[in-house]
Amino acid sequence: MSHVKSSKMVKTLCDASKRDYANPYAQLEWPETVNIEDWHMSPELLSLYGTDVYERLTEAERKRLSFYEAVNFFSLNIHGEKPLVEGLAKRLYAKSSRPIDSYLHHFLDEENKHMIYFGEFCMRYAGKLYPDKKLTFPRQYAPGEEDFLFFAKVMIFEEIVDVYNVRMAKDERLTPIARKINYFHHRDETRHLAFGRQLVKELFEQHATAWSPETLRGLRDYLGNYLIATWKEYYNPDVYRDAGLNEPHDVQEAAVAHPRAAAHRKEISAGCVRYLLQHGMLTEEPCL
Amino acid sequence: MPVKTEAEIRRALREWVIKAGGQAQPAEVRDDTPLIESRIISSLQVMDLLLFIERLSGLSIDTGELDVAVLRSIDTIYDHFFGARHADSTR
Repeated sequence: MSHVKSSKMVKTLCDASKRDYANPYAQLEWPETVNIEDWHMSPELLSLYGTDVYERLTEAERKRLSFYEAVNFFSLNIHGEKPLVEGLAKRLYAKSSRPIDSYLHHFLDEENKHMIYFGEFCMRYAGKLYPDKKLTFPRQYAPGEEDFLFFAKVMIFEEIVDVYNVRMAKDERLTPIARKINYFHHRDETRHLAFGRQLVKELFEQHATAWSPETLRGLRDYLGNYLIATWKEYYNPDVYRDAGLNEPHDVQEAAVAHPRAAAHRKEISAGCVRYLLQHGMLTEEPCL
Repeated sequence: MPVKTEAEIRRALREWVIKAGGQAQPAEVRDDTPLIESRIISSLQVMDLLLFIERLSGLSIDTGELDVAVLRSIDTIYDHFFGARHADSTR
């Protein structure tokens, strides 16, 4: 694995993690129940916002949808963080990871804490998590490719989530518990994103020159498709069913294809896509 | 989607795979063709495939409890998700 160029950066991130070190059990006050007809997710961030189905919903139905979309958003975070924790633990004290070990400890610790409060919200108020729909299939990698893809996927996933966190942490329409979860997640993710961007760039610079044109082409296709697949998880038929909508799979297909939703995906992903393009990890913008 | 018989389900799955795969000729997609190994569909399209299976079967699929081998081909998909309920249908 590469070195995050400046050990100074690793030290700065470690210092910030120590400063913000938190107890997830004391950090949040959990109401016994929440009213599912309050806003739990910003309406503009709902997957159906702007669609015909959304326009036909009453205010109470929109808020109910926002509750189940929040449960989906938090479930997605858990499904994203589980393999992240697994991958970070695998790399901890691996020979090639030595320069970043001290920060990997914080990264692991913080991701575990995030899952505690995402899980608590889902289980306490919905009694469940929405199932993960992503599957991983074993495959062969060129030298350095697996590490690069691991951290690039983490970066893509976290960059999208963070835009949502930032907007919802500020949204006074949301219930306090939903806002605080978004706020605390964003606070840690700021460091993870800085670390992830730098490490991904370094890994790419370190290995890309040795990769064949076919490996590079495959890797770029994969990253673009990963971005598209990541977004698809935000459109969940199980959510629409729980929110009381008929024909949830039709609703899902129509929502994904809606021009407003495509513009939304493009807008939220813009910073991440720009970074991938700027450093040659993508050569064209994915069709979101 | 009023799909009922085994033949209709297999046809619907085949049509979905051909459309999603893009590059594959219809003749290349038999019911025993390995879909991911042959790169007819990518691992990242599996989520769309699962949603399509959910739509056809009415099931909600949890990948945490799924053996990826059941997604190997149209035969294995049919057997796992639909087989028991369509034992009396004809292809």
